Amino acid sequence: MIRFEHVTKIYPGTSSPAVDDLSFTVPTGEICTIVGPSGCGKTTTMKMVNRLIEPTEGNIYVLDERGESRNVLEMDPILLRRSIGYVIQQIGLFPHRTILQNIGTVPKLLGWDEARIRRRAEELLEMMNMSLEYLDRYPHELSGGERQRIGVARGMATDPPVMLMDEPFGAIDPINRNILQNEFLRLQQEIKKTILFVTHDIDEAIKMGDKICILNEGGILEQFDSPTHILSHPANEFVEDFVGADRALKRLNLVRVEEVMDSRPPLLQATQNVEEAVGFMSERGLRFAYVIDADRTLKGYVRFRDLKGKTGWVDEFVEPAATAILMGTSLKDALSGMLVVDYANVCVVDTQNRVRGLVNTEMIHRAVVESESEASADEEGEE
Amino acid sequence: MTADVIQRPRQNGLWREMLDGWVTTLTEPSLDVFRAQKAQADPLKTALGVGLLGLVIGLWAVAVGPASLVTGTESIWVNLLRIIFFTEADFFILSLILFFIAKGFGGEGSFNQHSYLLSLVAVPLGMIVVALLFVGDKLGLTLMAVLNPLSPVGIAGILMILFGFYGLLLLLFALQAVHAMQASAVVYTLGTPLIGWGILRVASMFAAHEENMITTEWDFIAGQWAKGTMQELLLGHLWLVVFSVAIAVVLGVVIGVLITWPSQRPQPSHLVILIPLVLCFLLWAASSGILGEGMADSIKVTVRGWDRSLTRVGGFFGPLCDILAAIVSKPAALGMIGMMFTIILYALFLAGEAASDLTLYIAGIILTIPSVALFGVMIKPLGIGPFNAAFALILYAQLPILRNTYTGIKAVAPEIVEAGRGMGMTELQLLLRVKLPMAVPVIVTGVRVSIVMLIGIAAIAAYIGNDTLGEYIFTGISRAQEKRYIAGAVLVSILALVVDYFMGWLQNRLTPEGLKGRREAA
Repeated sequence: MIRFEHVTKIYPGTSSPAVDDLSFTVPTGEICTIVGPSGCGKTTTMKMVNRLIEPTEGNIYVLDERGESRNVLEMDPILLRRSIGYVIQQIGLFPHRTILQNIGTVPKLLGWDEARIRRRAEELLEMMNMSLEYLDRYPHELSGGERQRIGVARGMATDPPVMLMDEPFGAIDPINRNILQNEFLRLQQEIKKTILFVTHDIDEAIKMGDKICILNEGGILEQFDSPTHILSHPANEFVEDFVGADRALKRLNLVRVEEVMDSRPPLLQATQNVEEAVGFMSERGLRFAYVIDADRTLKGYVRFRDLKGKTGWVDEFVEPAATAILMGTSLKDALSGMLVVDYANVCVVDTQNRVRGLVNTEMIHRAVVESESEASADEEGEE
Repeated sequence: MTADVIQRPRQNGLWREMLDGWVTTLTEPSLDVFRAQKAQADPLKTALGVGLLGLVIGLWAVAVGPASLVTGTESIWVNLLRIIFFTEADFFILSLILFFIAKGFGGEGSFNQHSYLLSLVAVPLGMIVVALLFVGDKLGLTLMAVLNPLSPVGIAGILMILFGFYGLLLLLFALQAVHAMQASAVVYTLGTPLIGWGILRVASMFAAHEENMITTEWDFIAGQWAKGTMQELLLGHLWLVVFSVAIAVVLGVVIGVLITWPSQRPQPSHLVILIPLVLCFLLWAASSGILGEGMADSIKVTVRGWDRSLTRVGGFFGPLCDILAAIVSKPAALGMIGMMFTIILYALFLAGEAASDLTLYIAGIILTIPSVALFGVMIKPLGIGPFNAAFALILYAQLPILRNTYTGIKAVAPEIVEAGRGMGMTELQLLLRVKLPMAVPVIVTGVRVSIVMLIGIAAIAAYIGNDTLGEYIFTGISRAQEKRYIAGAVLVSILALVVDYFMGWLQNRLTPEGLKGRREAA
């Protein structure tokens, strides 16, 4: 948990506050994204948690390892910072230290022995899906995305309950950023950290946040809420402008394919014979169907017109599928993937490429409509 | 009035143009000026200018050297004409050599433009140097007098050296402008004849040695080596430099770190600085007799004991012990210097970053004090010998180390410092684990510059009675033994080159692995 209570920051020599009477609570195990235009004090807000910046007024509480709520202003700043994970843009890695030494920064400060640090670093690299040989390399030998993973690993080195992330994926190209975001969300499912995540990108804020904190210039809190709620009920004109006119589309970001897919789609076995397959397809009026093998691995698809009047095995007519969607993908990414290859139906697969369901444009459309009506139902319920 | 000004260039156009060319190139030296002059290239003007130079040199030669010139039956005028001709011929031969070397390095200029631009440099500077030589000759120019910066002859000598360097700079511009070459190619163009000359000179010396015709610098060096005096001087030279640099590194890095540190408020705990201050004060007070004659005497006796046992040490560490002996033998001066540095360091600690500009400025000023003058000023408080020399050398070595420490630390990306601080490093840990390791390559560069510079200055320390290689230079000059001082100068240069090479190796070793690759990648 991270709780802000009437926190104000006025920099010396300025009259207007950089952060103005901020109060909100991030529940344990959730990501709270702080977003706003430049100069809105989002980084200041974050840095007050580990006291890189001292608040002028107000109190900030965090939950320590023993689950006790502690006022950060009463803690020793050095010990406080060591107990909070801190991730900044990739440039923050120490260039003169190996990956192992970088990850081991805080453990070393806490006096862990070498063997324990190495064990932990290996564990973290595995968690990041990186090979162990990276440990003895230097940051300049890594790609931008790899460096960022190390940055996140370094922040998690001592398994702190609370983490601060300052635009952690900001310096990365859009494709890799997307991959890193998805990886991190999957990771968060397991590690359940309480995270304050600063970003300037509203899309990232919506995607990553369980809660979003929208700040305006002068550090004024405009809205603190869940992404769905912010998209359906912007508190005021500023928030409405900030989230953009495409907020209905943005909502697609919040829904995962497994929530809308057909999990028992009609599938053909590769070992079926063609006559049986033709019967199966004409019965259901399918013009094509996906083909799997015995352990549900996706083999490709067959067209009805290719099979009709032929004999033999389905296997002989399979064509490879141009795309398949990974479980956990957002509807927005799924839709975009489908538009690229011009498919109306796509298989949803797990990481082993086993078919778990099928999603089509109709289902996505229905999901948007449903979330719209759900949101308005919420509204009525509240009033 | 206005009409008059406009009229003038037309009346005596050629002379006026030549004069204008000289004045602009001498007073506003820049590549652009030479590029503009290139358009006005004219063989006639070149010949006239060089002829004028020949005339001046000829008149000078006639005036100061009549004995050699007016032997025989020829009149002065024949000699004068001969000198004018040879001056002009020399100029064009040298121009031709430089021209072809420049062509070899990809130069694109024409010989006409080339010699015109060179004449813009050579003629006026040549005239000035001849004038200075004339003054020098009248005053009895000797090298010893030249080295004394306060005598009129010394001033003339220094001016000549300055004009020489200035001329070299102008030559670089001239060659670059006329041939449209890169700066490095221009340096090679000017350097090639010098290196060629050096090789010829060394070869001729060896040839002469083989023929047993004359004794050479090498014979002298070999003789000194056999006697063992050279090893002694070399060792003394090196120890003086190493000792001074070692202390300068500590001081320079500490001061460099302090002026990157945030400024502090005085706190009761800072009273610890009083401990060294009090010790220094007591040392000073006791040895200067304020605390009673008995105390001063006992210190003197102790010091003499140390002094004797230290000076008795010979061999490799002998020169180092001599330096230490010279230092401990002046407890009062040591106490004063100790107090001074304690106070300076504490002031810097409090002021921190706010003092950075002033500190770098003062360190810069110290470097501009001529070394002979600094040695001279220090003779009164510190006497002559290694203490004085080490003190001056430490002061000189400060600036490069201090400045590089400062810039090295400042150059560490703010994000990296921020990351370290955000992860809970204390300021000291941040300094020792992040800032200093990352600044090491820059700091070592500063040490490298310092150490090479000190090798040169340490030669001058022989002037105040130190056993350094400068001994050869000074005794060589005073006894007018050319071999001796050339050998000394050559040895100092070789020592500087060797040490510089070693420092390059050391720099490579000390640079953290992770930073090396980053430079290659960048």
